[in-house]
Amino acid sequence: MLPVIINGRHIETRQGATILETCHAAGIPIPTLCHDPRLKPAGLCRLCVVELKGHAPFVSACTTTVSGGMHIETHSPGVERARRQVLLLLAHDFPKHAIADARQKPFLTLLKQYGINGGCSGFCCAPSDEQKLSLAPAGTLIDLSHPYIRVDMSRCALCFKCARVCDEVQGQNVWRAWSRGAATHLLPDAETLRASSCVSCGACVDVCPTGALEDKSVLARGAPVKWTRTVCPYCGVGCEISAGTRDGKITQIKPAAAAPVNKGHLCAKGRYAFDFVSARDRIVDPMIREEGRWRKVSWAEAIRCVAERLLGIIEDFGPDAVGMLGSARATNEENYLTQKFARVVLGTNNVDCCARVCHAPSAAALGTVFGTGAATSSFDDIERAATIVVIGCNPTENHPVIGARIKQAARRGANLIVIDPRTIELARLARLHLQLHPGTNIPLLNAIAQVVVAERWFDAEAVRDRVDGFDAFTRFIADFTPENAEAISGVPAAQIHSAAELIARHGPVLFFHGLGVTEHTQGTQGVMCIANLALLTGNVGKRGAGVNPLRGQNNVQGAAHMGCDPNRLTGSVKLDEARERFESLWNSPVPHARGLNALEMIDAADAGKLRALWSIGYDVALTNPNANVTRAALAKLELVIVQDLFMNELANEFAHVFLPACSSFEKDGTFMNSERRVQRVRKVIEPLGHSQPDSQILCAVAEAMGFKEQFNLYCAEQIWNEVRRVWPAGGGISYARLDHAGLQWPCPTGAHPGTEILHAAENGPRFELQQVPYEESAERVNEEFPFLLTTGRCLHLFNANTMTGRTPNRGLHSGDFLEISVTDADRLYIADGDHVSVRSRYGESVLRARRTDTVRPGELFATFHTAETLLNSVVGAGCDDIAGTPEYKVAAVHVGQF
Amino acid sequence: MNAAIPNASAGVEPKPTAAELASFHRLDGDIAGKTCRGLGCFVGRHLDPSRWSQALAQGTRIHCLGECFASPAVANGTIRPRIQARCPEPILLRRMERGSTRDFAEYARGGGGKVLERAFAEAPLKIIDELEISGLRGRGGAGFLTGRKWRATANASAPEKYVVANADEGDPGAYGDRFIIEEDPFALIEAMVLAGYAIGARRGVIYLRAEYPLARAIIEQALIDARSGGLLGERVLGGGFAFDIELVVGRGGYICGEETALINALEGRRPEPRIRPPYMSERGLFGCPTLVNNVETLVNVPWIVEHGGAAYRDIGFSESRGTKLVSLNSLFHRPGLYEVEFGVTVRHIVEDIGGGLRTGKIRGVLIGGPLAGIVPPHLLGTPFGFEELRSIGACVGHGGIVAFDGNTSIAQIMHQVFSFGAFESCGKCVPCRLATRCIESVFQKIAEQGAANFWDEVECAELIETLKRTSFCGHGAGLAEFAESVLRYYAEELEPCFR
Repeated sequence: MLPVIINGRHIETRQGATILETCHAAGIPIPTLCHDPRLKPAGLCRLCVVELKGHAPFVSACTTTVSGGMHIETHSPGVERARRQVLLLLAHDFPKHAIADARQKPFLTLLKQYGINGGCSGFCCAPSDEQKLSLAPAGTLIDLSHPYIRVDMSRCALCFKCARVCDEVQGQNVWRAWSRGAATHLLPDAETLRASSCVSCGACVDVCPTGALEDKSVLARGAPVKWTRTVCPYCGVGCEISAGTRDGKITQIKPAAAAPVNKGHLCAKGRYAFDFVSARDRIVDPMIREEGRWRKVSWAEAIRCVAERLLGIIEDFGPDAVGMLGSARATNEENYLTQKFARVVLGTNNVDCCARVCHAPSAAALGTVFGTGAATSSFDDIERAATIVVIGCNPTENHPVIGARIKQAARRGANLIVIDPRTIELARLARLHLQLHPGTNIPLLNAIAQVVVAERWFDAEAVRDRVDGFDAFTRFIADFTPENAEAISGVPAAQIHSAAELIARHGPVLFFHGLGVTEHTQGTQGVMCIANLALLTGNVGKRGAGVNPLRGQNNVQGAAHMGCDPNRLTGSVKLDEARERFESLWNSPVPHARGLNALEMIDAADAGKLRALWSIGYDVALTNPNANVTRAALAKLELVIVQDLFMNELANEFAHVFLPACSSFEKDGTFMNSERRVQRVRKVIEPLGHSQPDSQILCAVAEAMGFKEQFNLYCAEQIWNEVRRVWPAGGGISYARLDHAGLQWPCPTGAHPGTEILHAAENGPRFELQQVPYEESAERVNEEFPFLLTTGRCLHLFNANTMTGRTPNRGLHSGDFLEISVTDADRLYIADGDHVSVRSRYGESVLRARRTDTVRPGELFATFHTAETLLNSVVGAGCDDIAGTPEYKVAAVHVGQF
Repeated sequence: MNAAIPNASAGVEPKPTAAELASFHRLDGDIAGKTCRGLGCFVGRHLDPSRWSQALAQGTRIHCLGECFASPAVANGTIRPRIQARCPEPILLRRMERGSTRDFAEYARGGGGKVLERAFAEAPLKIIDELEISGLRGRGGAGFLTGRKWRATANASAPEKYVVANADEGDPGAYGDRFIIEEDPFALIEAMVLAGYAIGARRGVIYLRAEYPLARAIIEQALIDARSGGLLGERVLGGGFAFDIELVVGRGGYICGEETALINALEGRRPEPRIRPPYMSERGLFGCPTLVNNVETLVNVPWIVEHGGAAYRDIGFSESRGTKLVSLNSLFHRPGLYEVEFGVTVRHIVEDIGGGLRTGKIRGVLIGGPLAGIVPPHLLGTPFGFEELRSIGACVGHGGIVAFDGNTSIAQIMHQVFSFGAFESCGKCVPCRLATRCIESVFQKIAEQGAANFWDEVECAELIETLKRTSFCGHGAGLAEFAESVLRYYAEELEPCFR
């Protein structure tokens, strides 16, 4: 510690701290406009200047590191006078009319504090004619083009924070400085912000001290009067947000301060796409369909109807004629209740969730190899990793906050390896981009392992201490040479060799993978191949290393983990291993019959064996593959209960009862993110209309079906405490602790700090290398279907678009598109924006073409968001034979002008 | 050659586009025939009023062409100043005094390269030892001890280091570096090789301002000749030391003379000054330890290597050792570039050497550009030295000597200097970006309307104080120092300007 004297006080500070940090820690307020703890100090507003004894000019507190014995005066008359002068200079340029709607902004607060009225300082420093000329473009950029952000650069104080945060946090560099001196001004990298490379993360708005950049929602609906901390409803990163409300409505969302995952950052979805909550077509009354027409009913009638019809079907066909689908959008508590309802009330194991169609293979593979079906490390390992391998995921669009962190890591010098058929944004920053053909993960990943073994680059110590089956693996892997892999995957052998070298010799290595690995017929095996690489190179159980699936939805990790899985109970334990414990805790038998997963339920419906389906927040009609077959099966069901916010495709075409649920903004609970972190979801607004939290609906139906004793659980914390009793690894995660910060399981006791890195124990369990042979996908190109299609999401839209489609994000994105290489497009006379038909042996879809260099000739990429496109009618019936996950990522198709 | 400057688009870190950078810089294309708007031309405007009018009307605003000896100046590059050593032991002008050495053969005949052989025969650090003994201080303005800078850069361990010659001589009134490059280019090259050898760098960069097209042509040719002559390349003088130099030409931006801004310019960024630390000796060009010295500073080094630090130390006085180039503006009877020994009085320079003004009485002298105080006539007896000038609020700076006569009022000087200061401010920090403009406007008002009001005076005083104490770099602070000295020494004359 360093002793310094500030304003006569003796203060101890840490070595390397700046004067500003020291003062803030000591509770001494220092005014500043250009400082943000996330950004490199700039020292340009000069408001934080302080006096140093024995040093004539003032020094800026943000850029000056303390040295022992410094005498610092932070508020001497001279310093305060200088600050006032600096503010006067800025105030002179601040438009008078802008003062009213910017009163809360830091700049205006400072003006007030220093007794300055903006816009009228009494100076006579009008710019010279020459300066006026060059000032013109700066002073006048008023740009309303962006759906969320109002740009009015006449208010800009040139703190450069927008440009710096865009560069240093988001890595986008939209804001550019032009000219110099008094004519200096900032402009987006295109004529308007809408047309620029802006990714709408809102970071520039958050840091702007003057309101030059402001959320349109605040201008239209007023600044929030109340803030509630909760978790973003979109992807599995689990960013914490601060939801601002006014008159019972959400008017603004900002990143929560000091959130461990997002660290003050958000993306286009979490920051801005919240208007779906109050969308006009939100269903807020229970409804029953009679003779094809929907009729609004009371909750009592709806619940009676559901209970009676379910009891009737169980009586006629047995409990296994009913299936339940939990929701990755619902809380842990609600998913726990969903599976408990299926098993206790209905008496069936037919319960699943959408993890089936995304990361079930990750859970299966990681469970098989490591014993825990979840990420082995944490997002904070991004900053600790020397090498980051991104396989089959596109974080800058689908997990943007993590994408931004990976980008910054690459800029700081981490080696980035991207394995993807497309030249995604990260591929452009990568040391290596292994651009493989869709469906060839296994031979490629095996070949990397082969090089590691053949070159003897494996971590001998780690292999000796932690790994089983090395010798057998060595024999098995020998044939997977880079040359063979090149022939199959199209990735040059030399690149495979380089990748192996980076992974083996430039650790720690952090692996991220996404659905580009799991949504294949060999999805589970693909994840096992990644685990093999981590095991061989000693990249498990230590900081900066690990195998991490990037989960797609906010609570998909939690939904499955809570037991929405036909074979597993809460805590992801196998039915047979934990049956007795659950039976005694639930005071009810747990059914023995093997349950159906989400896709088997559709098959059973088609076969007439499944009679009823209760789907909570999961639109299987739109998102299941082989949509034409799925729809035919759904039509055969006797009872379809849809519990959702909106009349989705499943409800619209097939449902008999609609139960209006409410969004995560309208209830309490917890979500579990990709890195096993349980975080509190807090009620921001009251449920709209008659909508109810899923938990209340489930408990009411259970009660109506005679299970009041087991479902007398109407408060989220009460449900969670039951979860803690049945799931030992979560036992220490109490609401009281979650009020301070999220916790990563395992966290068995109240004193346990949570677990950042799994399998870290030195003498921990040994893990077995998996021998994964390659089986070629049935989706192969031929004369009729000469293209390979992969599908995915884009930055602005989310999954089935039920949420984003009801927000101005629509204005940032023009709907689903098909990426086609320029070579192919030229050959087929396809222009940008043309409607093209994509046809497979399963079905056809029409969408707009986008000519691009991100896919290779012979390969295509399409987004699957909208019901109009129904791209899933093109995706086939293939699925992973271990986890049952559909092969969304490979389809042989024909493309033509529509 | 091995490119010292990596491709600016390489790497993942985004840089400004060419258009964005062009909007910062003010020169694009040929400057031939363009007239200069610098301070030297301003105070000499009555010598050729039409040329000065042309400078004001001209679209491209140029400060300065390095022709203050013939101001108001027009870019043609052919006229030469008087070049004369006015000291017992010439160091900088020892070759130039006898004429130019642009030809490599001539340079070699005159003993060129000998000093390198001598240096290579000894350990690199020996050069630094001698430099430290010599007491040589930076001639670019700050007067930092050169040996200490070299030592710090030599001590930094890094696979790559750079030697950067700051040839962005932008201070109005100064033209010494220009003529060193034009008349004795190999002296600079030789000095940079010595620097590279001393600090362990293989790469050098000369950042030359765009306003010196002839200097550019000459140094370009000299670099080619030096390479073929073995002075540069993989094996300098056939030995084991590899060193090469790349020339980078600026595009009009006074601030690029500030060493951190210069490094930013070389890296393809906006040339704004950086926060120090880290110092250039730790992390400079492309993150590598970098030695940045101005041209004149470097050119002292071969002499020191040849004669030893102690011999150098014997020249000069007090804390200012050695000699200094001074460049006198056109109002003098004998304008030109002179080498003087530290310790002579300013009066000796302006009266004995310059012969006084040919257009009337001296009303004041600006030494070392406008980022320092003005020397009023009654202080001309001040000895020419770093601390001695500092004590009266002035500065050695670059050694440009701009004297003005009765044709220019002090308010006009203030307006000219702040107009220059505001135009050349990078705009990064608030006080420099805005206060310079405000002060310029006040004095513009006085110039146009004869006077400003009492509040302007009060505000001006406040703004100058703020500029001085809060500016990010020396640009704002230096302008404030200039303004302060004007207010101090010319209060009487200024009084009627504020009513």
